[in-house]
Amino acid sequence: MFIQGLANFIDDFLGGLMLISYALIVGSLIWAGWILRIWDRSAAGNGAPEPVVAVCVRLLKGGAITLAAMQGTKLLIKGMLLAATLGDFPLEAYFGTVQFIAGLLRLVLSCGFIYLAGRLSASPYDRSAWNTAAFLTVPLVISGAWLVHGVGRFEHREQLMLMTVIHQLAAAVWFGGVAQLLFLWHSRRAEQAAHKFWPLAITRFGWLGAASVLLLVSTGLPLAVEYIGSLDGLFGTGYGSLVATKVALMGGALYFAYRNHKAGKEWKKRGASADLTGKVPYFIEAETFVLVSVLFVAATLSSQPPSVDIKDTTATVSEVAYMFSPRLPKVSSPTHEQLLAGEAGRVAVVDKVPSVAATEWSDYNHNISGIFLTGMCLVAMLSYTGRFRWARYWPVGFIGLSIFLFFRSDAETWPLGPIGFWESTFGNGEVFQHRIATLLAFLLGVLELRARTRPDAHRLRYMFPVLSAFGGILLLTHSHAEFELKSEYLIQSTHTAMGLLAVVVASGRWLELRLATAPVSSQGAAGRFDTGQVAGFLSILAMFVIGNFLMFYREPLY
Amino acid sequence: MSLHAIKPFGKPLRIIALSLLALSSEAWSHAVVTESSLTSHPVKPNQPTKVVLFFNSGVELALSRVFLVSKGDVFHPVNIAKGKKAGEMLVDIPPLEPGDYALKYKVFAADGHFTENVIRFRVDNP
Repeated sequence: MFIQGLANFIDDFLGGLMLISYALIVGSLIWAGWILRIWDRSAAGNGAPEPVVAVCVRLLKGGAITLAAMQGTKLLIKGMLLAATLGDFPLEAYFGTVQFIAGLLRLVLSCGFIYLAGRLSASPYDRSAWNTAAFLTVPLVISGAWLVHGVGRFEHREQLMLMTVIHQLAAAVWFGGVAQLLFLWHSRRAEQAAHKFWPLAITRFGWLGAASVLLLVSTGLPLAVEYIGSLDGLFGTGYGSLVATKVALMGGALYFAYRNHKAGKEWKKRGASADLTGKVPYFIEAETFVLVSVLFVAATLSSQPPSVDIKDTTATVSEVAYMFSPRLPKVSSPTHEQLLAGEAGRVAVVDKVPSVAATEWSDYNHNISGIFLTGMCLVAMLSYTGRFRWARYWPVGFIGLSIFLFFRSDAETWPLGPIGFWESTFGNGEVFQHRIATLLAFLLGVLELRARTRPDAHRLRYMFPVLSAFGGILLLTHSHAEFELKSEYLIQSTHTAMGLLAVVVASGRWLELRLATAPVSSQGAAGRFDTGQVAGFLSILAMFVIGNFLMFYREPLY
Repeated sequence: MSLHAIKPFGKPLRIIALSLLALSSEAWSHAVVTESSLTSHPVKPNQPTKVVLFFNSGVELALSRVFLVSKGDVFHPVNIAKGKKAGEMLVDIPPLEPGDYALKYKVFAADGHFTENVIRFRVDNP
């Protein structure tokens, strides 16, 4: 059970990285054909200049190397997990699984892409290398069909596999294109050609992005209907709630895409647009945050049973709503002795007895953490007024929170409990994730405190949104053991909502910092506030809502 | 891109496509028990029983384990076999005294995810 939790978490994480690298490969090739028009070497000059193609190749190579590394690691980890879980290692049976064969095929294909990208690095217009890469993309895309839920269904199997592959392809085109835009923007200082090509890339990608979104929706909708099947299934299961989260995140990404497209249209119409260089690059960076989160959510979906298969353990909408309803926070905790007394019954397989003390212990942990976070956000809001200099020190709260979490998160482990620190950290998936969250809170506090109080800490400022995004991904991929699906889900529902908000915190703060460096002409004041300030306030507001969720948290007794 | 460029790759592409199609014969994804015969046919005391577990999809039997858990959380490995239909697993339960028991299963699905879960059941006096 414990190693499974840890392995599934690592598995989901690797899965997210694999989806990202897959998108970089596929997206780069579509980008090369559609945006850079590398096959068009006519005198009309529609094709991109060599330095711009070189940027595309670098990203293609990066994606291929990452996919090979992740796929290889995943196959290895699966083997180790098998050996640890089964007590022996049926090598032959493992090598015969579809998972292994399809994974190995992807590993071989990604090695092929590494080789081709190497050739293209030396000669960016090598037509035969581009052609071979395009053909290798076909089996790469198709092999994904054997790594999705659809393959195991008893009905509409082929249709579901096909639909999922198209869905993944559309996502890859969108994310790969956004990543290409990001790299193109960041190489503009070194390359004049990249700077010149920038507006053209934005306008060309507008239509490609729109087409991929259309494809995403038209394939995602029937998949959702097939796998979720009801409103309770959407909000009352892990699978459904992650789909809802994906949709919400995509809405955010679409907003950024719309703003970029609008700026591109303005440039096309007038031949100039302040937003195109003043805002669009930063919107693309924020969009990347969101899309990376979407891909991690998509990877986590693969480890969740479809809602239609767990109707008996699906929570109702009202049960989920109750988890979020405001109530007085719990400010008293059971003693450590009371907690440990109920642990044997709580973790028993046959004579399981739910532990009231464990539930109250957890409620207290979450509620106090919520009070910490809500208080910090209120002080943070004061700091934005500019009148209270001491309010700049609000990140100290994160350090306090991390110390609290270290002692309280897992009471059965060191320093309070009998299980050793290393044994519990690497032997139990939940404890491992809690330890990461604790470290994350500590780092957030230390780094953001330095960033807010030292004017010269320019680069340090960006650590907060990066770590917030990582924290959001951690929450979205947070896994508990699967013995009580409904209770586990009710807990997970709050984590998922907080993960979604953490992505808003990250994107908002990132935009605030980045837009502060943009030229004043492109700030586009909206009343008294500019776009960056609005984004910054939204970021704090999202963190405030997370604090509220934690403050009102009530764990189901199970 | 011209069709002329595709020609040299015709054979490798066909081989890849056939390899991929060959994968489709026995493949399953994340497996959870949707139903079990324990509900309709409770285990009778002191006689061996075959329990049927119905999964939402098939599982890799060679990479899966099922344990009978008795009072005090003592684990006994039990034999498993493929059922008649896709997604069915047969579990051999030895003769049991009346009392509380559980089946703990660890199954490996083709999407690479282990599903570990518990089904609790009771053996009543006749």
